[in-house]
Amino acid sequence: MVSSTLIRPRLWWKSRRLNEPLLAELLVSQRKLLSLPLIEVPLLAIDMEMTGLNPLEDQILAIAVAPLQGGMIKLSEAQEVRVAIAGSVGQSAAIHGITDRELKDAMSLDEAMRWLISRLHGHIAVAHHAPLDLRFVGQGMAQVFKESAPLLALDTLQLERARLLRCQDVIKEGSLRLGACRERYGLPVYHAHNALTDALACAELLLAQLAAMGAWQQPLSSLAMLSD
Amino acid sequence: MDASEIEPLNQFLSQLVPFDSLSGSELGESIRKLSVGYYSKAMGHVPLDPANPQLYIVRSGAFEVRDGEGELLDRLGEGDFFGFPSLLSGEATTNKVAILEDGLVYHLDPDTFNYLRRQSREFDRFFNRAFAKRLRHQARFKAKELTTTSRVSSVMASSPLKIDCNDSIQTAARMMRDARVSSLLVTDNGKLCGILTDRDLRNRVLAEGLDGRLPVHQAMTRQPVTIHAAALVFEAMLAMSERNIHHLPVLDGDEPVGVISSTDILRSQGSQPLMLIGEIERQRDVPSLIGVSKKIPELLQSLISADARAEEIGRVLTSVTDALTRRLIVLNQQILGEAPMAFCWLAFGSQGRQDQAACSDQDNGLLLAHEPDDHAAGYFDALSHAVCRGLDECGYRFCPGDIMAQNPSWRMSLDKWQQVFDKWVKSPEPKALMHASIFFDMRPVFGPQTLFDALQDKVLAGTKDNDIFLAGMAGNSLKEAPPLGFFRKFVLERDGSEVKGIDLKHKGNALINDIARVYALSAGIKEVNTAKRIRALMELGVIGRKDALNLADAQEFIAHMRLANQGRQHEQGISVSNYLKPQQLSSLVRHQLRDAFKVVHDAQSGLRLKFLRSF
Repeated sequence: MVSSTLIRPRLWWKSRRLNEPLLAELLVSQRKLLSLPLIEVPLLAIDMEMTGLNPLEDQILAIAVAPLQGGMIKLSEAQEVRVAIAGSVGQSAAIHGITDRELKDAMSLDEAMRWLISRLHGHIAVAHHAPLDLRFVGQGMAQVFKESAPLLALDTLQLERARLLRCQDVIKEGSLRLGACRERYGLPVYHAHNALTDALACAELLLAQLAAMGAWQQPLSSLAMLSD
Repeated sequence: MDASEIEPLNQFLSQLVPFDSLSGSELGESIRKLSVGYYSKAMGHVPLDPANPQLYIVRSGAFEVRDGEGELLDRLGEGDFFGFPSLLSGEATTNKVAILEDGLVYHLDPDTFNYLRRQSREFDRFFNRAFAKRLRHQARFKAKELTTTSRVSSVMASSPLKIDCNDSIQTAARMMRDARVSSLLVTDNGKLCGILTDRDLRNRVLAEGLDGRLPVHQAMTRQPVTIHAAALVFEAMLAMSERNIHHLPVLDGDEPVGVISSTDILRSQGSQPLMLIGEIERQRDVPSLIGVSKKIPELLQSLISADARAEEIGRVLTSVTDALTRRLIVLNQQILGEAPMAFCWLAFGSQGRQDQAACSDQDNGLLLAHEPDDHAAGYFDALSHAVCRGLDECGYRFCPGDIMAQNPSWRMSLDKWQQVFDKWVKSPEPKALMHASIFFDMRPVFGPQTLFDALQDKVLAGTKDNDIFLAGMAGNSLKEAPPLGFFRKFVLERDGSEVKGIDLKHKGNALINDIARVYALSAGIKEVNTAKRIRALMELGVIGRKDALNLADAQEFIAHMRLANQGRQHEQGISVSNYLKPQQLSSLVRHQLRDAFKVVHDAQSGLRLKFLRSF
């Protein structure tokens, strides 16, 4: 992760070195948003299901996105795609509930990454524990384009940790989980878990967090992070 | 895969009236068209864009709709809607939606809204009705007064047929024939002076051979029993069955506004409490009376589930207790013989105030016309023991404080009672007063009203404007405070550990009862029911109209919460208590409850200021 003061030069430097135009354009489109107030920035909440937690070994099974802008989540543009994998989902089906059969009509990783990049164009990613999801995205880019681009993102977990640390020293285990964070803002409890529900849950959490922080008028650069 | 497959959205909307009437594909289409917004208290109001009307669906949080003048129109919580009036009327709204508690709100665009109205008649009808209702409320927020069906005014024949008392009997009979009615109100200078019924024409005119040209006042029933338009239907029924009459003129103030007949009532409802009271009156021995009393909990449950007003439930349940008490007295008198002197059976406390709920204890006493000799003392000892035991067996447990007619201390002649009250009133010791307060909520259940009046008039003459006594009473009633701090704590503890319940009776209704009692005694008001006391205080100008209405609303709301809670406890098979666990409340209800407690708090401050001369 890159600290906020270094974001701008690093983005500029990185975009110069990319060969794949799709990725370079994505970076440029994100960089333009940095000085805008958050209320004007097009955001894209992302959640993914993977076969495990290791980006080098495990594979993406599903990617869900829910766009939000001006404080509103547009459900009409929320979408989830399934991604075909090599081999079987195996034991991980117990966690994400996606079985091999459901992956029958899935996109190839190549298609899925191109779809995600097009959705991200001109948007800033939002995720709960963003570094993990973005590492998988980075790995996916590397497989498809033989290179990967750093991405600008808002991490709802990181925002929450910072908020909690301001009023207490120790953070109890489990209190930064998506459900626990939502409960603190009185957001409804969602029992079902899949990529699209969690993407919506994350987007709603961000709305609540920014409202509580009174941060909608702050520039994106003050809260954004940059993935490796 | 798109948003229509998001499980929590589907679950919420598919169970939400009127979205529950939509087909699967229409529901999916509505979900896909939603956008989700979040409104925080810091924003103050939901920004409503007149150029871009939306249907707003509250998913969480609490909101208030106020009109242009700031009058409260509606309070909204999870599953409620706003914004539909503009969508339906096409006019920009002057209403404002204040944010009471942060929450998620779904927005539905006008095209989809109108599409759904075309697709589903139920969907369309729901919002048209909601709009009509909102319009009706525009003048004043009256959500709690919708259950008017049980009022006399809703059942009576309005614009009654009237005749002047000097018109002839024949004219009256012709009017009745032409209008096909069985009764006529007789007025003298516009004021009600009698009622003429079919029965009067038969018994007083035909049977007596009275001349039809004579004035009607010679045939009418003079000074008929009347009932107020706002009285409950079952109270009208009671009045009729007690006196074996079938018509009651209905008054609003002094003015006759209608007539209610037993037929009107029968037509209006097959009423459960009435049937129960009728059944009580038919029982011929105590064991079968006890058998009938087992139906009381069931009656309470059905009243709660019918969402009756708490005040009405209290009055209904107390009427049943009164009927049981009276029947027990009558049945025991059949065994013991005629009483040696006139007496009144007095109800104190909740039965006196007509606000009994589940599992009430008995609080009663006996008022004798004069000092009893040994024979009379023995008679009343036997009678009161039999009645109190009967009540206990009917589910009204013996009073733990022994305030019962079977206790010789509370079975006294009029003189002795007057002395006891005199002692409380003239030398008010705080501790003695604390125990005495329920005696001031007294009501005769059986016996001559005049005997009771002799006692009550004396008591009120002593309390009225009696600063020292009132200061003592006020001081006692301020010992408990409504649990306002609780709500602050509640917000903090929302994540964490178990929160203790709120005692809705002792920290809520009891405080309002206390407040109303002190004011009523200070003004010499004879009513003992808290709602009636407040109304009387308002009419006398002792309490300002707004404060009085607020206090009455708070009383009703807290009592309603208490009953609903007890209904839930009963359903879940746990023991019924006055404790409400706030985890079970939606944020909207929590807000209303806090408002209600705030009203109690303010009323206590007012009481302190007026009677203790302190802040």
